[in-house]
Amino acid sequence: MLRLAAGVLVAVLVAIPLAVRPAAPVTWLAILALGVGGAGVIVLSVPIVTTGASLALIAYAVALVIAGPAVDPVAAIAVGATLVLLLALVHFAGRAHGAALGPAVVAAQVRHWLVIVGLGAAAAAALTAGGVVLGPTLRGTSLPVVVVAAALGAVMTTAGVIALVTARKDPPGTAGR
Amino acid sequence: MSWRPTALNVSFVTLAGWALFLGVLTGRADLVVVAVPLIVALVAARRIGAPAAVHLHHDVSAERLIEDDRVTVTVTLRAERPVPLVELLEPLPPRVRLEHGRNHAFFTLRAGEEVRWVFVLRCAGRQRLHLGGPHLRSWGPLGLAAAEGRSRAPQTVAVYPPLAPLRHPPRPLRTQTFVGNYVSPAQGEGIEPGDIRPFAPGDQVRHVNWRATLRLGTLHVTQHHRERNADVVLMLDTLSEVGAPGATVVDVAVRGAATLAAAYLARKDRVGLIEYGGQLRWVRPGSGRAQLQRLLDTLLDASVVFTYVTRDVDLIPPRILPTQALVLALSPLLDARFVRAATDLAARGFDLVVIAVSPVASARSAVRGGRVADLAARLWSLERRVQLDELRRLGLTIVDWDGVEPLDVALAALRQPRRRRVLA
Repeated sequence: MLRLAAGVLVAVLVAIPLAVRPAAPVTWLAILALGVGGAGVIVLSVPIVTTGASLALIAYAVALVIAGPAVDPVAAIAVGATLVLLLALVHFAGRAHGAALGPAVVAAQVRHWLVIVGLGAAAAAALTAGGVVLGPTLRGTSLPVVVVAAALGAVMTTAGVIALVTARKDPPGTAGR
Repeated sequence: MSWRPTALNVSFVTLAGWALFLGVLTGRADLVVVAVPLIVALVAARRIGAPAAVHLHHDVSAERLIEDDRVTVTVTLRAERPVPLVELLEPLPPRVRLEHGRNHAFFTLRAGEEVRWVFVLRCAGRQRLHLGGPHLRSWGPLGLAAAEGRSRAPQTVAVYPPLAPLRHPPRPLRTQTFVGNYVSPAQGEGIEPGDIRPFAPGDQVRHVNWRATLRLGTLHVTQHHRERNADVVLMLDTLSEVGAPGATVVDVAVRGAATLAAAYLARKDRVGLIEYGGQLRWVRPGSGRAQLQRLLDTLLDASVVFTYVTRDVDLIPPRILPTQALVLALSPLLDARFVRAATDLAARGFDLVVIAVSPVASARSAVRGGRVADLAARLWSLERRVQLDELRRLGLTIVDWDGVEPLDVALAALRQPRRRRVLA
């Protein structure tokens, strides 16, 4: 059941670039993404599914470049939300494979995932709306904004890595206390 | 417990990175929007409170089992705060199979909710089964963070070898002074009638044989044989073993020793045990149910401990190995040190019976089939037969037991009265 749901998400992910522009390179990339992603779903491997999703993302970018349509935030949010759900689902299915699932575990998980995906979609919608509003006023000043954002991102990444490395470790065997 | 990022973060970061990179490369805002839900998920995974404490109660249905019995493990979980997803894993020790349920489970707990997780294990071989309590892992949202720990609730289940029925255990040549089931040649108190003799002062009236008295005209009494018990010492060879884990010759010998111990103790005999191996261990002869438990506990720990040091039977105190005892040696006869010890005991006049546990069947079950393996097994069987014949010629009483047929069948050859033999 979880495999089937993950397979549907892979199919959705592959279908979106084809819907944008079913050109030959997009089709080949989509088929490759479908094959790799499908294999990842069958063996419930997150790294393989990530590879397939990356290929689907490249296919989406190629389709956007070839077709050159207007920005479609709904499709983009759908791709982002599908990616989040796909990774969470394959990861959970891989962990829970062969294990006993308590009552309402899957339903509770899906609820949690949808809440976070909803948050992501709302944030993306807000970003898009902000871009639409602020875009005309910031026209011509995009380079400093990109530089500042890149510097901020670099600082945050470095801080995150330091935080991960220096995270406090609990002594073993303290569960349930 | 504290949250730790999982490997899934790498996948989220990879895809978000791809989306942003492709967005910058192509100048398409759509791809930047694609990255937003992924980044929001990564941020949300770090914005969670401390993991909720999960209280576990670990319980097993029995502390003592026989091989192939089942034990039910019940784990009760309770959390004060809601737990979105908790994963539990009880590692299975070797020679333990899952009979029912799963030893790996996921649960979602509401505040104050109590959940029971039950699974049944089947214990295939003798062992002290240590169940240390399940590993516990709380999962954060989307599986991007996890907090791990282990509930320390160590419980030990003793899995004893099975006790097969044994109707005719080897009869000891010598008896002891305590009351038992063996009819002694000596006259005295007992229920087995013996000779008839004329009445003498001091004889009890209840012993008068009225039929003989009437026929012979004078008072005659019936004498009785005493019922005595015997000392039996089980000598277990743990110098070497062959076969797959759980079905080695030592395991077969342990099953035989447990069966013999139960049979002799049921006959009111005193039974002791000597584990003759890398570690020389013993149990002083005794009787009763407590002694059976003591012997089974010792047999549970019997294992091969490698050593170059040869320990002589001289080290065994006489109270452990009484001279009047019937010594039952269970051995595959693979190690020359045990063969020497057995011949030494027989030469000293001990009433010794060697139960030669065949290593061929154990080794054969541990290797894959084939013509070469079959041929090797047949050659080994022939060599073994020659070895047993040589030991018989030396005067040892040897019973060949393949470990598959019931021990009672193998011991049938000893139902004929045995005589003491002198070693050549």
